[in-house]
Amino acid sequence: MRLFKLLVPILISIILIVLDARFSYLDSFKRFTLTLLSPIYFVVDLPSHVVDWVNDQGSEKAQLVSENKYLEGKTIELKARLQTYNNLVLENQKLTQLLDATYTIPEHKITLAHVKSISQSRLKKQIIINKGSKDGVRNTQLIVGSDGVVGQVTQVTPLYSTVQLITDPTQHMPVKNVRNGIRGVTKGLATNERGMIVKFIPLDSDVKLGDIFVTSGIGTTYPPGYLVGKVSKIDKPPNEAFLTITLKPMQNMDKLEFILIISQKND
Amino acid sequence: MTKNSSLLLLTKITIIALIVGAISLPTILEIVSPFWMLIFFIYWVIYTDTKAIYLFALILGLLTDILQGSILGQNALALLISSAFIFNVKKSFYVSNLTTQQVYVFIASLIYLIALILTHIAIQGFNFSWLIILSPFTASIIWPVVRLFLAKLKH
Repeated sequence: MRLFKLLVPILISIILIVLDARFSYLDSFKRFTLTLLSPIYFVVDLPSHVVDWVNDQGSEKAQLVSENKYLEGKTIELKARLQTYNNLVLENQKLTQLLDATYTIPEHKITLAHVKSISQSRLKKQIIINKGSKDGVRNTQLIVGSDGVVGQVTQVTPLYSTVQLITDPTQHMPVKNVRNGIRGVTKGLATNERGMIVKFIPLDSDVKLGDIFVTSGIGTTYPPGYLVGKVSKIDKPPNEAFLTITLKPMQNMDKLEFILIISQKND
Repeated sequence: MTKNSSLLLLTKITIIALIVGAISLPTILEIVSPFWMLIFFIYWVIYTDTKAIYLFALILGLLTDILQGSILGQNALALLISSAFIFNVKKSFYVSNLTTQQVYVFIASLIYLIALILTHIAIQGFNFSWLIILSPFTASIIWPVVRLFLAKLKH
């Protein structure tokens, strides 16, 4: 009987693992429970709220502080917009040379969010941000920082969202080389806190150290043109069809404070 | 311990474990930090007379999974197997000195870690930081502090 009492919950948890890993039946349940548990996030984040509040109250230049915060956010937003425009200029030059073609500049809506000091599973690279479904955040939206792509929204509650970093081993992102348009898919490295590899680039491809990779926009999930990483190492493994390219993310994940949520204009 | 006081202690322990587990630390410290829910739950298992230990282990494990963004059931399975070990050595644990208790906590954390890693490998492959194997050590080191804190909380 005692063994039965143990085996039943073990069986339930195994079934849940399989269901959650392979299917998305439990997503609503998870979202609902996480919404109920989100006051925990608020409590954990309370000290930083208090510190911010005390700082704001203590300052005689409160207006300057808030203006500074606004401008800081605006700067990040503009730097993020610049990432796509720099890429578009290069793209445009190539296309003009080839076809004298026109290029449609993608229009994206940008929402500023604050990264919360809340810990996540140690087997995943995730962060929590202070914007949720109330602010229009949805699953799979791209997250960028001032210098490059940060990751993708994976879970949303009314007040908070979870973002999986591009350096997480389970995160894949279609990218292309800015210099020549060679396409691949990035994958995070678990053993390297700040590294990614690019897969599916043939051995004879023209890739050099220092090349910049940006989001390619293949599929509808990620908008194109946002900086992802710079090539830091190229290996040509024998008996393999593809290069092993190591990327250093453009965005320093350790110094994230503000991030931007990118959504299509029609979202 | 009466049923009501046992459930009250479990509620307090759950809230504190979820909060402590969600506090952000520098990356390396976060990886090697103890499995907070496990070591808090061990304390409750030792002092409670409740029969439904595995049911509570399942619920708390699922709450941990959801709050930490893990695969649903991953921490639940690990917590269940570790609780089974602690439940088996409960009498010995209760009367042991602090050092022996630390050894038990180490073994329970090791079981938890193995279950967690095995499920992770089965689903996502070998992609995790090996520093995580240090967490049973930190769990056993921090156990005296946790025990002292929870003893105050119990009263």
